[in-house]
Amino acid sequence: MNEQEYYIPSGTYWPIIGSVGIATLFVGFANQMHGASWGGSIMVFGFAILVFMMFGWFGQVVKESTSGKYNSQVDRSFRWGMSWFIFSEVMFFAAFFGALFYARQLSVPWLGGADNNVFTPELWDGFSATWQQIAFNTPGATLQSGTAVSVPTQLVDVWGLPALNTALLLLSGVTLTFAHHALRADHRNKIIGWLVATIVLGVLFLGFQIAEYGHAYHDGLKLTSGIYGSTFYMLTGFHGFHVTVGVIMLTVILYRVQKGHFSADNHFGFEGVAWYWHFVDVVWLGLFIFVYWL
Amino acid sequence: MTTVTDHTDDGHHGPEKGLMRWIKTTNHKDIGSLYLWFAFVMLLIGGAMAMVIRMELFQPGMQLSEPQFFNQMTTMHGLIMVFGAVMPAFVGLGNWLIPMMIGAPDMALPRMNNWSFWILPFAGGILLSTFFMEGGAPAFGWTFYAPLSTTFAPDSTDFFIFAVHLLGFSSIMGAINIIATVLNMRAPEMKLMDMPLFVWTWLITSFLLIGAMPVLAGAVTMMLTDRNFGTAFFDATGGGDPVLFQHIFWFFGHPEVYIMILPAFGVVSHIIPTFARKPLFGYSSMVYASASIAFLSYIVWGHHMFSTGMPVAGELYFMYATMLIAVPTGVKVFNWVSTMWRGSMTFETPMLWAISFVFLFTIGGFSGLMLGIVPADIQYQDTYFVVAHFHYVLVTGALWAIIAATFYWLPKWTGKMYNETLAKVHFWWAVISVNVLFFPQHFLGLAGMPRRIPDYSLQFADFNMISSIGGFAFGASFILFTYILIDCIRNGKPADARPWEGAKGLEWTLEPKAQYHSFNIPPTKVLIEQESQNS
Amino acid sequence: MTQIIIITIIIAILIALGSGLLGILRGGSAGSDKMFKSLVIRVALSLFLFILVMFAAFIGWIEPNAVMMDAPTLK
Repeated sequence: MNEQEYYIPSGTYWPIIGSVGIATLFVGFANQMHGASWGGSIMVFGFAILVFMMFGWFGQVVKESTSGKYNSQVDRSFRWGMSWFIFSEVMFFAAFFGALFYARQLSVPWLGGADNNVFTPELWDGFSATWQQIAFNTPGATLQSGTAVSVPTQLVDVWGLPALNTALLLLSGVTLTFAHHALRADHRNKIIGWLVATIVLGVLFLGFQIAEYGHAYHDGLKLTSGIYGSTFYMLTGFHGFHVTVGVIMLTVILYRVQKGHFSADNHFGFEGVAWYWHFVDVVWLGLFIFVYWL
Repeated sequence: MTTVTDHTDDGHHGPEKGLMRWIKTTNHKDIGSLYLWFAFVMLLIGGAMAMVIRMELFQPGMQLSEPQFFNQMTTMHGLIMVFGAVMPAFVGLGNWLIPMMIGAPDMALPRMNNWSFWILPFAGGILLSTFFMEGGAPAFGWTFYAPLSTTFAPDSTDFFIFAVHLLGFSSIMGAINIIATVLNMRAPEMKLMDMPLFVWTWLITSFLLIGAMPVLAGAVTMMLTDRNFGTAFFDATGGGDPVLFQHIFWFFGHPEVYIMILPAFGVVSHIIPTFARKPLFGYSSMVYASASIAFLSYIVWGHHMFSTGMPVAGELYFMYATMLIAVPTGVKVFNWVSTMWRGSMTFETPMLWAISFVFLFTIGGFSGLMLGIVPADIQYQDTYFVVAHFHYVLVTGALWAIIAATFYWLPKWTGKMYNETLAKVHFWWAVISVNVLFFPQHFLGLAGMPRRIPDYSLQFADFNMISSIGGFAFGASFILFTYILIDCIRNGKPADARPWEGAKGLEWTLEPKAQYHSFNIPPTKVLIEQESQNS
Repeated sequence: MTQIIIITIIIAILIALGSGLLGILRGGSAGSDKMFKSLVIRVALSLFLFILVMFAAFIGWIEPNAVMMDAPTLK
């Protein structure tokens, strides 16, 4: 397409399909939580519509892009869109990190009697404000929602799977950088090798993360283990979801590299996904340090 | 990017035919219209709820609604007006106007633009459907504080949470689109400091949206897991804290109020210079003031929480930071007034709305300052004074600017002129009734009447009746407003390309009814400088 | 002290990551170079931080966060 012309894409049905999908997904999920037996299937159906939409929409964009319809302005619009989308993800994680800091630095110490709250711990018999093991000596302590609090019997072992997983994910950052370098130097075979290594490391990370959840769950650290369990599972859970998305996107990129969609000086699809992966990597590093150490 | 054509992918040069035009559209004007009509319908629905509230409060005692239903009314009125009416209306205005103002053919990401609109009807539908669920709609106030919204809320709250998620997706996509459009699709010769103020304020608003909406998504996600999966974010029994909810909510909530008012500032900064026939006074200070307001809005959220418990140092910090916002806001009001100073003013309908905006928004701003003072706030907290304050900034602020913008740009949207006499009648009707409606609420609040209650003690009776009468009159004014709009679209007289003598801006250089794709050829440097507000 | 160093490095990593994003935004070969360089820096810093944390923990400068938070009470 001519660099001198504005490009305006044609209308498509993908957005409305996406809306139907996401609304179906949410309505199904809400009904599932309220005990409707059909909620789950509706939810899966909605998710399927959403996946169909993504394949269709992105497929159309890739097709238009490779057929040369886009110009550099369209490319820049995609860059702006992708960058600010990721920034909004950063802010989403920030909300959960904020909750973590608030609980760790303020609410739990206050419950334990810090500052001028000396009487607060007296509200519950035998309450002890420990960080990982919010503990109640009263048997059958329950949350306001009526859920029994699950007190973990053991602390999380930071030297085991978490440290290993951190190493794996950091390594995947290194392999991805090598792939990136290879792409910039136009070494097609090396790109594919390093990309495969990155994907394998990502999948390994996810596998170990599931194993880690198994261990934690076995030791009684659950979503219902008070604020530590809540922040632990929500942060690692959302992170795991992003790793999954990242692995899927890297796989698509691998496919597109094989198809020869990228050149040494024009590979926005690769750059966007690579940056996303680095972002997910950094989030994990923050998680590892703040959830497990500091 | 120097030349040429209207080049859509499938060779369409105009709109498609039939319903599918609206579902598949990638055109910023179509999508802008969809946004505006959606916002208008939501405004009427939310307004009907306000009528129920004012009817119940017409006299002391319980008249027509159960307390629980009354609470559903106040909650849903707030949610629908904020998320369903004001925000979509401004996105609609942004969609319509920004590409025309920056000399672009369309938005940067037109398909995503379509999606960010088409999520809205689904979100609105889910939100409204909660009325028909067991236990009724959410009834915990639009701020949905935990534990009211976690432990003590009806099942429908989960649907409300998902509706908020959807509205958040929509807003974030809309904001991304506006950033990409302004920074990438701007006419190549247009410098940042030549951009019209509506474009500037929307650009800044977009950054607020991208920073704040995901935090709201985080807050409602925590609510969702607290309600259904046994987490303890907002539950002290598990080491969490209900006050944490307020911190997260207001970290979103305070930028949110500027999301709703910054584009309004932009609109007024267009209308006042036009009808004062003078260039805008202090263009660059307007830009910097908007940016400072946006920055400050992120660091003052605690002033919504003075009476919920915070260390004294925190209260003092939030108080002083809040006072600081008065400075850039003062700069803006000063600039608007200075623009009018010794201008050859005429008072067409948009100007009337804009001038009353300056007056009435300033009243709302000052009552905000009063609320920002910690010791005073402890008195005003949760009274009708707060209600009066935020209705002065949101109704006579945000909504006023939306109506002003509608009259100001209606000729460009439709190619036709509205009925000036009727529009003036409508203005005076609305501006008088809105003050009868909200001004007495200051007195009610100072006298101690709490907000969000269906019944009250006898000493509040008179002012409540006056307020309700004003409310019914104001509500009825929208019937006339609807008529004026439809009359303009159907029978309006053809308008000039530049219907306002003193109007500046690239949008007025287009055809009387702006063509389907605004600028297929970017405007020249000469034209841009001629139409720039910065002169 | 160790904590301050760790947090400083995290901030440096975030800055490097952010500068990579700016590189994507800019596009073209200059942007591509900027992005690649920033990401190399961020990977190097991350590895260094990981090794530092492991080392600090091994020496005993920092401990896993399972602390009791009871302040002195009236018990």
